Amino acid sequence: MTGGWDTSPAAVDAPLRSGQRDRPRPSVNGGARHSAAATTAVLLATAGDDDGGAAAALPWGDGTLLRRLLEQLAGLGVRRAHVISRPAWEQALGSSIDGLGLSVRLHSSASASRDLSIVAQLGRASPGGVVLAHADIVTHREALAGLLSDPRVVTGILATGGAIGQPFVLPTRSMRGRIVSAASPYHAVGAPSAGFLGVLKIAPADTPALADVAERLASLVEGPVPAGWEEELARKRQTWRAWFAAVKADKEIGAELQAPRSWSARVAELREDAIALSPEEEAQVARRTAVAPADVVSLLLVGLVRAGTHVGNSYLRRLFWARPLSGEGVRRAAEQITEHDEDRVLLESAVKANDGFFTTYCVSPYSKYLARWAARRGWTPNAVTVLSMAIGLLAAAAFAVGDRAGLVAGAVLLQIAFVADCVDGQLARYTRTFSKLGAWLDSIFDRAKEYVVFAGLALGASRGLGGDVWLLAAGALTLQTVRHALVFSFATAHREAIGKVPQPPLEQPRDAAGSALRPSASGSVAVTEGRAPAGPAPARAAGRWSLRELPARALDAWRVIDRWPGAGWVKRMIALPIGERFAVISVTAALWSPRTTFTVLLAWGAGALCYSLAGLVLRSLSR
Amino acid sequence: MSASTAVAGQRQSVLELYRDDGPLARALGTTLGARIGLPAVMLVAAAAVPLLTVMALGGDDVPRLAVGAAVAWLVVVGALSQGRALSGRFAWTVPPLLRLVEYGGLAWFAVLAGAAAVPGAFALLAAVAFRHYDIVYRLRYQGVAPPPWVGRVGAGWEGRLVIGFALLAAGALPEGFFIAGGLLAIVFVAESVAGWTRLARAQRPELYSDEEEVEE
Repeated sequence: MTGGWDTSPAAVDAPLRSGQRDRPRPSVNGGARHSAAATTAVLLATAGDDDGGAAAALPWGDGTLLRRLLEQLAGLGVRRAHVISRPAWEQALGSSIDGLGLSVRLHSSASASRDLSIVAQLGRASPGGVVLAHADIVTHREALAGLLSDPRVVTGILATGGAIGQPFVLPTRSMRGRIVSAASPYHAVGAPSAGFLGVLKIAPADTPALADVAERLASLVEGPVPAGWEEELARKRQTWRAWFAAVKADKEIGAELQAPRSWSARVAELREDAIALSPEEEAQVARRTAVAPADVVSLLLVGLVRAGTHVGNSYLRRLFWARPLSGEGVRRAAEQITEHDEDRVLLESAVKANDGFFTTYCVSPYSKYLARWAARRGWTPNAVTVLSMAIGLLAAAAFAVGDRAGLVAGAVLLQIAFVADCVDGQLARYTRTFSKLGAWLDSIFDRAKEYVVFAGLALGASRGLGGDVWLLAAGALTLQTVRHALVFSFATAHREAIGKVPQPPLEQPRDAAGSALRPSASGSVAVTEGRAPAGPAPARAAGRWSLRELPARALDAWRVIDRWPGAGWVKRMIALPIGERFAVISVTAALWSPRTTFTVLLAWGAGALCYSLAGLVLRSLSR
Repeated sequence: MSASTAVAGQRQSVLELYRDDGPLARALGTTLGARIGLPAVMLVAAAAVPLLTVMALGGDDVPRLAVGAAVAWLVVVGALSQGRALSGRFAWTVPPLLRLVEYGGLAWFAVLAGAAAVPGAFALLAAVAFRHYDIVYRLRYQGVAPPPWVGRVGAGWEGRLVIGFALLAAGALPEGFFIAGGLLAIVFVAESVAGWTRLARAQRPELYSDEEEVEE
């Protein structure tokens, strides 16, 4: 191990709810701890509540929303904070910032333009990175911890893929983990994939970009805003109103509240004059419309994305988030947040969202409890990763014995190693102890385990059951490496193509949707590099289409299958992910012989190669 | 700006790092390759065809001359594509194709030398696979690729094929594969561990910032 654990006092703060969990929070090679301590928080307390006060000064427990957020940030190791507010609210907010574990400065500003100028100054003066947020949001500490402590999200946002905070949460669209379009009150997103929850982390390397963007925005919002911005805000207000109507209609037919992607289409169908909202709903819409022009947090996100900064996502998952803006809203948020058992949702959220079938149904249901058990014992993810590798080596040794008992023992050990392999990732997510080294170890040991087991099986077969299978083993290794190379290379090429797509200027309310980063007919998104804007998607459905569109149409048809129950799982299974591979090895080796194992791996792997190759070729052709 | 990021600035695509070219490919690519206008994808595909055909049809009693010719064609034509921008629509097919011909070719050499040589090929392939995964994972998690000297010492895909064939021709299999695999494994793993140690030291005192802060 090259890093060692950080056991400084700052590393052991703020246990979760249970209190008994005083586990050390290891920080390998400069993880979250160092980052958070150097980070400057900039909180925008510029939104008003219904009574003309600051929403951030709304009471929460003995303090205020602002105080709660500052306490959470201090608990996460943030040492410096700046609060930007209006002159009239200075007094009310002053009491919220005393006696906390971090130094807070209050800035008075009269306008959004001035807010942005202050952000620009702070950006230039904060070499350690910035976390920018609305001062009046209510969320779990762990949601903030997820964003602040994940070294993989360098510059990124707290995001939601679900319906929380609807309809007022501003949408974003991401591709390969990178935000390619973001909304502000004045900017629109085509084909949204997630929502922005008002917390933006900016890496030290990107603070100059933040300052530049803030300066530019400051001049844009000073005086009359650019052409089309007011129209976009008016359209947002319409959409919000239409959303309430759509929800009401859904409730009448008993449908579930849908994610943004599907309801936005329905909202567009509703006519404004046909919408009748309750007074309370109208008040909500009016409240959001009133605070929208001062929403510099989302403006800065749009600015960074349009400036080509790489902005990632840290997802809320099943934790709670709200931006109440009224006493009634705060009361409701306080009620709802206690309904969430933070530890429980954190554990649920520790399970990776897009694992294969075997992992999701045969391992994760219990491995998350093992992860919690390991966390309570103070085990680190890296220790579990190393343990998993050691068990994998034992499995290979057992396979190498060559008799039936060895094969069965190897099969069982391999499954234990695989469970441990799932536990390390879940433990890292659960305890928020991500590290670069840990991620590398996890990945490289996964490969090493698999190929060492191949060698063990081949060695065992040459001494006992199955005869000489070394060539099959070499073939299986080659096939798997080629399959990985294919996936890595395509992902890299795709990511680079996304990075090269030009972003529209900041003055333009519409994003690049419909042209370079275009959603296909089925709502999926493909990248076209440096092409003229294509016609609107519905043109394709109009009957005549050329051979050039064949790949795109084939892909759309293929994606339609995803709507059949279970089809998504079958598709994932065809691709033979790691859980399925390890299950195949264990089952075939224990019941039959290493020869069977390699034969199945080669046949299934070859099918998987053809399957994914066909998909990637179609995607390349449809660009 | 470190030297490595300056190099990365000239590079068109990370795919060029995934290729894992050695000194021979670099020499051929910068001299002869610069004069040939064909896209890299086409050259690599054309380079792979003879070897894959002979492997598929030839069985295990192919004359050494035919094997040598197929390897020579693969190495020379494949190397010509070195240094060419990997930016076309199908540029992503180049790295997996190079893996296929390298791993397949080395395993086949062992088959030609007799079944007893195949475990040696497995050992060599495992060492090479570590290198190839390490390139991808270190770029992904550290933001930096292994330093260029590792690529030179590792001889690249083309160098390993040439050495592998030479070992076959000299009748030095499987011992040659075991020794080559062992040496490569030591270099690749030791350098990776050193890379992580360097990163740990560089990051120890202060804050975390992504990428570009480590030399090489």
